[in-house]
Amino acid sequence: MSRHAAPTVPPGPFIRPDGREKVTGLGRYAADLTATGQLHAAFRYADHPHARILEIDTAVARAMPGVHAVLTHADVPDVRYGGLAQDRRLFAKEKVRWEGDVVAAVAARTPEQARQAAAAIEVRYEVLEPRSDYVANLLPGTPLVHEDWASYEADANLGRHGNVLGRSTVVKGDADSAMATADVVIRGRYVAEACQGAPIEPRAILAEWAGDGVTIWSSTQVPFAARSGVARALELPESRVRVVVPLLGGGFGSKCDFHFEAHVAALARATRRPVKLVFSRREEFIAPDHRREGMLIELETGATRDGRLVARRARLVLDGGAYCGEGGFFAQMAAMHACGPYVIENVSVEALLVYSTNQPSSSIRAPTAPQTCWALEQHLDEVAAALALDPAELRRRTLIENGSVGPTGQVYEAIGAKQTLDAALEMIGYGKELPDDEAIGIACGWWPSFASPSGAYVKLNGDGTATIVTGALESGTGAVMALPLLAAEVLGMRPEDFSVRAQDTETGPWDLGSTGSQTTFNNGRAVIAAATEVRGQLLDLAADQLEVDRADLELVDGVVRVVGAPGTQVTIAELAGIGKVLIGKGSGRPPESPPVDASACVGRLGMESFLAPQLITHAAHVKVDRDTGVVRVLRFAAAHDSGRIINRIGADGQVYGGVLMGIGQALSEATWFDPTGRQRNPGLLDYKLQTASDAPPIDVRWIEIDTPGAGPKGSKGVGEPPSVPTPGAVGNAIARVIGRHVALLPMTPERVWEAAQADGRPPDGRPPDGHGQADGDATTGQAVR
Amino acid sequence: MRHPITLTINGQVYPLEVDPHRSLLHAVRDDAGLTGTKEGCDDSECGACMVLVDGRPTNSCSYLAVQADGTSITTVEGLADDAGLSALQQAFLDHGGVQCGFCTPGMLVSATALLRRSPHPTTDEIRVALSGNLCRCTGYDGIVKAVAAVAGEAAATAET
Repeated sequence: MSRHAAPTVPPGPFIRPDGREKVTGLGRYAADLTATGQLHAAFRYADHPHARILEIDTAVARAMPGVHAVLTHADVPDVRYGGLAQDRRLFAKEKVRWEGDVVAAVAARTPEQARQAAAAIEVRYEVLEPRSDYVANLLPGTPLVHEDWASYEADANLGRHGNVLGRSTVVKGDADSAMATADVVIRGRYVAEACQGAPIEPRAILAEWAGDGVTIWSSTQVPFAARSGVARALELPESRVRVVVPLLGGGFGSKCDFHFEAHVAALARATRRPVKLVFSRREEFIAPDHRREGMLIELETGATRDGRLVARRARLVLDGGAYCGEGGFFAQMAAMHACGPYVIENVSVEALLVYSTNQPSSSIRAPTAPQTCWALEQHLDEVAAALALDPAELRRRTLIENGSVGPTGQVYEAIGAKQTLDAALEMIGYGKELPDDEAIGIACGWWPSFASPSGAYVKLNGDGTATIVTGALESGTGAVMALPLLAAEVLGMRPEDFSVRAQDTETGPWDLGSTGSQTTFNNGRAVIAAATEVRGQLLDLAADQLEVDRADLELVDGVVRVVGAPGTQVTIAELAGIGKVLIGKGSGRPPESPPVDASACVGRLGMESFLAPQLITHAAHVKVDRDTGVVRVLRFAAAHDSGRIINRIGADGQVYGGVLMGIGQALSEATWFDPTGRQRNPGLLDYKLQTASDAPPIDVRWIEIDTPGAGPKGSKGVGEPPSVPTPGAVGNAIARVIGRHVALLPMTPERVWEAAQADGRPPDGRPPDGHGQADGDATTGQAVR
Repeated sequence: MRHPITLTINGQVYPLEVDPHRSLLHAVRDDAGLTGTKEGCDDSECGACMVLVDGRPTNSCSYLAVQADGTSITTVEGLADDAGLSALQQAFLDHGGVQCGFCTPGMLVSATALLRRSPHPTTDEIRVALSGNLCRCTGYDGIVKAVAAVAGEAAATAET
């Protein structure tokens, strides 16, 4: 036994353990890895967005200098894979269905040789008419994107039929009858373009075989899903596939799901050499089956003069693109967001996820939510105008609160929706006098927490430090890097005493990955459970050594000591010293989904129940140049109920980044498809991300409430909600300046200018009662009974 | 045909032989083996490849290695010294200016160049100086605060 100098907790924020390697440039991302003897991979993509493949001739390419292998569908198992619908192959076989479909892959000594050989592969096609217009693909008699859809393995609840990949409804009461009783009925039609996750790191993969097993270093957000995908596509046992993620340079959803790991593993097997793939920026735009879905959003709301929402009808059409990927649940998620966090007495929402020959849609930060929320929140401002209510007042009367019943019969308990509204209004100075080219817009939104199994080990080291071993994935959010805060509290140690070993399928327990804002929620729970097991071991050893009752002991400042007798203690370092084995494991029990009464809903895929919902209100103060349509966000306020906040610097960072991503989606970010479904702007010059000069000051406030079903220490998710209401808040602010809503997203200068020209601005700055929208086929309007 | 060139990178002399089309970025990453400098777009749009060429911030993806012959290059690996992290590197960590970290090397190089030519920039000057470096994680908030904090310290030091 010895005295232990109590470590002092340093003041200020918790510095992420991976920070030093990131600021010094010494940390390795996937593209930074090199294996001795490695070859370089290049893909041959579809030459037409929609075409039948007649013949693939690789002879010329194979004979080119430096080429070691050329693979097509004939060289890998004939296996389909996907998420809820198994509709894709590694290499296109009968058809190509979008410009990023992979037809062949090459491994060669240099990247240049690989690209030249890929271009030299001869592919003969029968060109088919592109089916880029996803709404038109619903029309009867439209040729199918997947002729064999009925033979695919798929989740029966998707409700697939022909070009419809998924159909979900949310039904509550009798919306038709209730609509007829409403004092005011407002209708709106909104169209949102596709957009991108656009991480700054283009993806990279390095695969190397040893014996009959392969190790794949990949820039994926979901190493375990990538492992499953490789195992399925190459017909290997999962135990022979190891996926390791070096530092990951962001993802925002775009690196979720299994993508190109199996192509590279197959090339490495064929060449018996390590093979490396590094995407160009153009490929990062075009080739992943992962972008944010374009949507058509039609809304109708009936309200009473006193501001009750008596009915909502909605029809949503989502561009699913060429393949399902992991976006199969989108119709139901979008339907939930067409209801929003409001008390609506009767609901009838239908959402359709439709195949097209565009890039496939899959999860990008809060999939389906920002677009749907943008439409709904502008629509609600029109409802407020028709009722002569301030938009904030309408929301105050209709937002869900404790005890409210949602659209699927879920009863919400302990949520802070209205508190976020009040906080955002206060932060932005709502109601203050502004110049006539400036205005404030608000929007509210929600997002569920996701429960998942997750696991962790905590081992104590002989020097009194500890190591957290987890399967979780650090994509940059800081979620994994903040796990030491949770373990340290359990063990009475300092956070900086912990190292973290993560994102390796061979060492860590299975984990869902960096997806669904769920790492702290689920892996945090696992780490606390693992640390608690070690704590028990420490208490047992200390009780033995100190000859005291275990119940009298506490762990503080790196020592186990008797409560009230500070001299009687032993350090953790001594207890964990040489020859000792102190290991805890844990997973914890995921909270269960709250009960619902959704018997009238179809296409149920689990989104009907919002576990520990996160509530958000955003307020945007914008300035609009009426002569040019240019919008500038001057200031932004974000109030979030994400439960208890564990690591403030990390949580704030999610809001700053998510809001700016949302402003980008609001004003400048869109993937523009030409009529054939090719991307017109697959580069960062024409796909404009917000810059440091564009970014407004953002005020953040957390409404910390203990919600049932929450994660560790009362936390909910944090990563996705900051993107949800941002475009809606910006849209409502623009409408207050120009006098009408811009019903096309993004709200580019051209679109804002056209909307501003369309009609005279009412003197009160409120949206007019008129109809029609200057730009294209989207409209908002209303009928007052 | 390959050309012999000499680059002095972070004070170390690298005699290299490069193809005429070799970018400075690939010479630094693949020939000199310094992978801290990142490739985000290969088109001068994202700034992840920013290095100092004789003190001038330069997108190394769009600069030929042969053009850089005889110059002195500073990469992110050259910002810390034996005493530890530079004030900017530490400030990036303290203010939440680092998330995924992929833009961080270029961002630090641009910020270093800014503070060398203008030790006391306003917040607007910081934002403009960093507008050639894209970040998708942080909303630039922590980054701008970090640079402002170091500039403030520089101001305080200069006054004393």
